[in-house]
Amino acid sequence: MRGIRTCFGATCVHEDLDLDVHPGEILALVGASGCGKSVLLREMILLAHPTAGRVLLFGEEAQDLDESGANRLRQRIGITFQHGALFNSLTVAENIAVPLKEQTRLPARQIRDIAMLKLLLVGLPPDAASKYPSQLSGGMHKRAALARALAMDPDLLVLDEPGTGLDPVGAGALDDLILGLQGALGLTVVMSTHDLDSLWRVAHRVAFLGRRRILATGTPAELSAREEPELMAFFQGPRGAARSRAWNHG
Amino acid sequence: MPLSPSPPEVLDPGHGQAMSCDGPRLRWSPNGGTLVLSGRWTTLTLAGLGAAPPRPDSRGRHGRETAGPAAGAEADANAPLESPLPRPRNVPPRVPPTGASTITLDGRGLMALDTAGALQLHRLTEAMALQGLAVQLNGFAAPHLSLLTLVRERLAAAAESLAAIPPPSRPPVLERVGRGSWDWLLQSLGLLSFVGETALAFLRVLAHPGRLRWRQMLQVVELDGWRALPVLGMLSFLVGVVIAYQSGVQLRLYGGNLYVVDLVTLTVLRELGPLMTAIVVAGRSGSAYAAQIGTMMVTDEIDALRSIGVSPLDLLVLPKALGLILALPLLTVFANLAAVVGGMVMSALMLDLVPATFIRRIPEAVTLNTLMTGLAKAPVFAAAIALVGCYQGFLVRDGADSVGRHTTTSVVQAIVWVIVIDAAFSVVYSKLGI
Repeated sequence: MRGIRTCFGATCVHEDLDLDVHPGEILALVGASGCGKSVLLREMILLAHPTAGRVLLFGEEAQDLDESGANRLRQRIGITFQHGALFNSLTVAENIAVPLKEQTRLPARQIRDIAMLKLLLVGLPPDAASKYPSQLSGGMHKRAALARALAMDPDLLVLDEPGTGLDPVGAGALDDLILGLQGALGLTVVMSTHDLDSLWRVAHRVAFLGRRRILATGTPAELSAREEPELMAFFQGPRGAARSRAWNHG
Repeated sequence: MPLSPSPPEVLDPGHGQAMSCDGPRLRWSPNGGTLVLSGRWTTLTLAGLGAAPPRPDSRGRHGRETAGPAAGAEADANAPLESPLPRPRNVPPRVPPTGASTITLDGRGLMALDTAGALQLHRLTEAMALQGLAVQLNGFAAPHLSLLTLVRERLAAAAESLAAIPPPSRPPVLERVGRGSWDWLLQSLGLLSFVGETALAFLRVLAHPGRLRWRQMLQVVELDGWRALPVLGMLSFLVGVVIAYQSGVQLRLYGGNLYVVDLVTLTVLRELGPLMTAIVVAGRSGSAYAAQIGTMMVTDEIDALRSIGVSPLDLLVLPKALGLILALPLLTVFANLAAVVGGMVMSALMLDLVPATFIRRIPEAVTLNTLMTGLAKAPVFAAAIALVGCYQGFLVRDGADSVGRHTTTSVVQAIVWVIVIDAAFSVVYSKLGI
């Protein structure tokens, strides 16, 4: 992403923002609430368009794409939304099968087979397949959303606040899951997060969004040593400091 | 699915182009006993999405096939498995040419493998194992191998519980009828208790009139009364026109043109005016109540209200019901007027009945009683519409789908109730001799 500028009316959340995502890495996007993390993610996956600037996705200029071109790229991206956004009227298995049904011409039997595998991959029990999203706990909900995002075996996985609303144990398990899947499937993962633990644990690289641009990128350890006031506040604040210590000293 | 090394912000360039001519392929090696995998085994290529048009020279005998589904049909005896689209059912278990009991899967030519591809391979080996063939993996890249292992482990771990899942079945007719009736009964009882609760809430408000949400109530009068005037006026006018026309056609035969006034005013004031108004409002406002409350249920706003100590009945239901009870009689008067004007216009055009004559005839055709018997129904209709709409809203559970369903139900039920109540009124009126 180059020179991104996003404005809503008179307020601009991004100004001349650059961000690179390397293949095969887990990039965490952090920053204060309302600094435009979700918007940036949405721009990355072609759901929203920046006011100005270029988005280069898999080597293609997003602005030049027509709708079918954009759809072709979207097949290679899996997304989970902040609130899950599972289709409530469909069972979990049907939810996972939706992208496969819409985007491919695989026979129904095979789609069911693949959907069940994705369900197992994200660590859901098989009997969750026939449940409706409203019958799932928060953690299972997140996992089901992840399974749907993985349905098409995307190259790029975009997770908007994957750990929000989970207890520490559940969030930790989800972190492990993301790490494990990323390792096994060779995914590129971009996630926005508030969770300091998952930041230290999962992210290969962290991009800090503040003052309307990417203030810094680097490993969690690098960023925690930086001296910009925003980064200090984030990493050396009462909550951040404890985490940094814990992770730096084993 | 390895991503090739590439400059920053460029993920795996050229993948989009490459996949179109590298569908999953599977063929026997010339010496038999070895299945050679090649191409990309991914969700997209398995689906034949990236299939390129067959090249003219592509149907040769030795593995120059395209990714198109048709290519497999051309395979001959030397290459029995050149199907580019291996599916769990139709691909695997053909006896290898040599009759060997061990099959080697050669993965050296495998360009890409994702979970869908791995699943496919897993099913393939499974099917061969079922035939008593031992399968050996050879030359797979490490990431491909670990992905295969992952898929195999996950499926194996869940095998028992997978088998334990009963196949989905449709309950027998009797059970469905029973459940349907039971649900219907519960819902009817629920509606009854909802009406009771609302009545209690109303009594509480009567004791403390200051607690009535006047603002919300007047808002209802504006939104569901005032703003309904144009559509209601037009519909009623047209209904008046139709009644005048239909009765005029008959009356003209007998020379009883003047009686069109009786027919129009009587049917409109007693029956059609209140009924039309109620039906329009049921469609317009009853559905809106159901959708509003239903959406609030989905987003937990109703629970939020309760937690703040505000009764949803007081805030949402009572103002709607009372507002509508106030608005519907007024709307009915307006609808009556519009319909009579419609009848008058039609009479003037078709029966040469000048409006002055028409108007002079009205007091002889109807009395104030006629108007009042019609108007008396309106508040009852209003209460039914508002309560059914709100009740259906509260029945909404989890999700957009449910909101839509209950909104539809609210309109259907409201209209049914309106007509049932109208019939009840007719019975009562005839007993009373009005």
